[in-house]
Amino acid sequence: MKIDNSIDYNQLSNILNKYKQEKRFTLAILQDIQTEFNYIPKEAVFHLAEYLNIPVSEIYSMATFYKALSLTPKGKHIIKVCNGTACHIRGSNILIDEIKDLLKIKPGETTADGLFSLEIVNCLGACALAPVMVIDNKYYGAMTKEKIMEVINEYKEAAYD
Amino acid sequence: MKVIINSKEYQGLPGETLMELAKRNNVDIPNLCHKDGIEGQGRCRLCMVEVREGKKTKIVSSCVYPIRDGLEVVTNSEKIIAIRKNIILLLLLKTPNNDYIKSLAEEYGVKAPDRYVDYKVKENCILCGLCVKACEKMGTSAISLINRGTTKKVSTPYDDPSKDCIGCGACAEVCPTNAITMTDKNRIRTIWNKEFKLVKCSVCGKTFTTDEALQFIESKLGKKEERICDSCRKKIISEKFKESFKYF
Ligand code: SF4
Ligand code: FES
Repeated sequence: MKIDNSIDYNQLSNILNKYKQEKRFTLAILQDIQTEFNYIPKEAVFHLAEYLNIPVSEIYSMATFYKALSLTPKGKHIIKVCNGTACHIRGSNILIDEIKDLLKIKPGETTADGLFSLEIVNCLGACALAPVMVIDNKYYGAMTKEKIMEVINEYKEAAYD
Repeated sequence: MKVIINSKEYQGLPGETLMELAKRNNVDIPNLCHKDGIEGQGRCRLCMVEVREGKKTKIVSSCVYPIRDGLEVVTNSEKIIAIRKNIILLLLLKTPNNDYIKSLAEEYGVKAPDRYVDYKVKENCILCGLCVKACEKMGTSAISLINRGTTKKVSTPYDDPSKDCIGCGACAEVCPTNAITMTDKNRIRTIWNKEFKLVKCSVCGKTFTTDEALQFIESKLGKKEERICDSCRKKIISEKFKESFKYF
């Protein structure tokens, strides 16, 4: 898998056309761009500024403020490891270290093949399952070092088969 | 509208904030993120004062607090001074080498415990947001507050030279802590990673603004502007003034 840095303008136009050219839609559009492209491409920031007739700096400010928006491409699968109190006590740091070792990325980074991103979150509201990890929207409870390897390999196999 | 500040009565104007009233009457309230002509932002919190209502008192930011008739304000109670000192201490820890913050700390007798200070820190920005506001007022909005939390800073999008920046220097001008680097050298101004051609005053010959800034103003006004710097302009006006009074 390769990360493609040029963007598809048709795809972008499809998003923009859903919204009126009004400033109040900035965040909603940025969220759509994030979902569609997996990140907020630079070209899209400039394009959006023109579309809404607002300064680029304002959009950039917003895009860097919200954690849900990312300026660098996110992986195909997003691994969220909970480091809230309950998970922390039940050893979430061990899980985080294991993932760092396995994937050679730090929290907030994406693997070179673009398959995984690692994120640390504070409480997923599933403390009974501590320590919890979520990949995309699938929850993995009572995680251990050993189980992590298994789960990650499943995703790798699915991607490279 | 009557407002009492430190037991003295002042006449307030409708729509005024406490800070505006105080400034107009030369009552000193320390502040970092307030400038005349720019609406209060409530960012630095150095302008906190105590407002008394009956038996209750509350602490408010004067730059964003609208006045009301009969308001009673104290600007230098013990509580307020303690809050101010705390804010100054935090600023000092963030920008331990900044001259202005250092002088403020000295004025209030604030010393940061050595073990907490990292003297290697070169930061000068206190994130007051004045530069961003000034740029917005110019109609350029080339810079903004970027990121959040500990990595928050002021810059152009992607730290690149901005297509919107006209090199007017308004941001550097309003900055209370001199945090924005702007250099004028060999008729070139460098600011925010972008270079601009400086323009000379047609009267005194000193460079006073950039080509891009002049063009920007002219396009807004829809007419040509004379290449005359501020101080020469003032001189010309006062000359004209003298002339017109000669015959009285
Ligand atoms: S650069 Fe100066 S004016 Fe701008 S936010 Fe920082 S301290 Fe305030
Ligand atoms: S001057 Fe009021 S908060 Fe800065």
